[in-house]
Amino acid sequence: MSEPDSSAAVFKSSAKRLAALMETGSEHARLWGPDELAAIFRHQMSAPVLVDLGGFDPGTAVRLKTLSEAQGLLLKSFSDLFHHPSPPIELLKLTKEFAKANMDHPESGLPTDIVSVLYYTSIAAALVRLDTRISQLKDADLRRGLLWAKDQAWIDEETKALLLKAIEKIPQANN
Amino acid sequence: MSSEQQASSIFPRTDWAELGKAAEGDEARLDRLIRLYWAPLKIFLVATFPMLRDEAEVVLQEFAEDKILKKGWLQRADRSRGQFRHFLKTSLRNFVLDRLNRADVKHAPVSLELLEAELPGEEAASEEFDLTWVRTVLAETLRRMETDCKDSAGDQPRRSYIWEMFRIRLLVPIFDGVSPVPYEQLIERFGLRSPTDASNMLLSAKRIFKMHLNNVIKEYAGQDAATAMEVQALEDLVSRIAKRG
Repeated sequence: MSEPDSSAAVFKSSAKRLAALMETGSEHARLWGPDELAAIFRHQMSAPVLVDLGGFDPGTAVRLKTLSEAQGLLLKSFSDLFHHPSPPIELLKLTKEFAKANMDHPESGLPTDIVSVLYYTSIAAALVRLDTRISQLKDADLRRGLLWAKDQAWIDEETKALLLKAIEKIPQANN
Repeated sequence: MSSEQQASSIFPRTDWAELGKAAEGDEARLDRLIRLYWAPLKIFLVATFPMLRDEAEVVLQEFAEDKILKKGWLQRADRSRGQFRHFLKTSLRNFVLDRLNRADVKHAPVSLELLEAELPGEEAASEEFDLTWVRTVLAETLRRMETDCKDSAGDQPRRSYIWEMFRIRLLVPIFDGVSPVPYEQLIERFGLRSPTDASNMLLSAKRIFKMHLNNVIKEYAGQDAATAMEVQALEDLVSRIAKRG
């Protein structure tokens, strides 16, 4: 379909295609296909932290900028944050909140699986890099979530390794 | 009504004068509506009364002038009396039957009873009318959305991207039956900074589409509740026909 033909194309379309077009207006329809999760996750991990987390209030945005540039850390992306040997805990908490807000938001366009992995990876990074628990989840629930995230076929090996280390830090006896 | 609208109106200015005290807004509204939905009306007319194929334009012109433009017609098309679409169909059908009846009395080429008996295809004609109506609504929606997005480019450069994203990601797959442009190509093409950025752009496109769809329908359906019902009715209609294949 060439660019100027969108209206003309409607008049040649079957009822099935018209139905699909009307469905387009629904915000509940999935934006992205399951086969695109790997590309979306790669993009998420390479995305500037400030872009996504900058959506919080102005005060937080300033604090974020300071944190991400502090101590020469130069945390540009989520990947930088998760895989830094000593990531700022505030940034990890904000990342967790950002993911949770998108998980709970019915009109979030982000795939639930992507934000769920982001959520568990921020918890894993705090656990592994800082030996700090930033989640109130019970051990069993957290372990289940981390295992689920680790098993997603579309995550990279480095993130998978981080999730595995986090799983190992959760006492089995408490499950 | 602007001078440009007057010039492009299918109706002579004198017809509008006959509307008497009709609100200025109604004149422009009727003119726009009838021009916009001329195609479905013609399809319904020809499908219901095939013998009028050659004079369809004339009949429709007369219908517009003698019925639609008459004072009070729009008020009778009020939501409480049924959907505007159905009212328009019924009005046209009755107008043509009345016209044929008068011709019948004068020339008696064929009886009105016979004509009425020859309307077994009316249901199919009605469905074809509704389907063309949906096409008209959607084509107008897309036209307005494209104009809206492109006209806003100066103030909001990314808004022109919204139309392009909508077109290549959603419209092309629907119309051409092809796979959507892969996510990674979208990142490059639109300089998307994150999946949130990408999702927001696509969600914005869907919202703009929905807004224009509602506006197009609201122009004939009336208040918000009636518009919502008409959107649902059109969705149900195309789904039902699509399922039947």
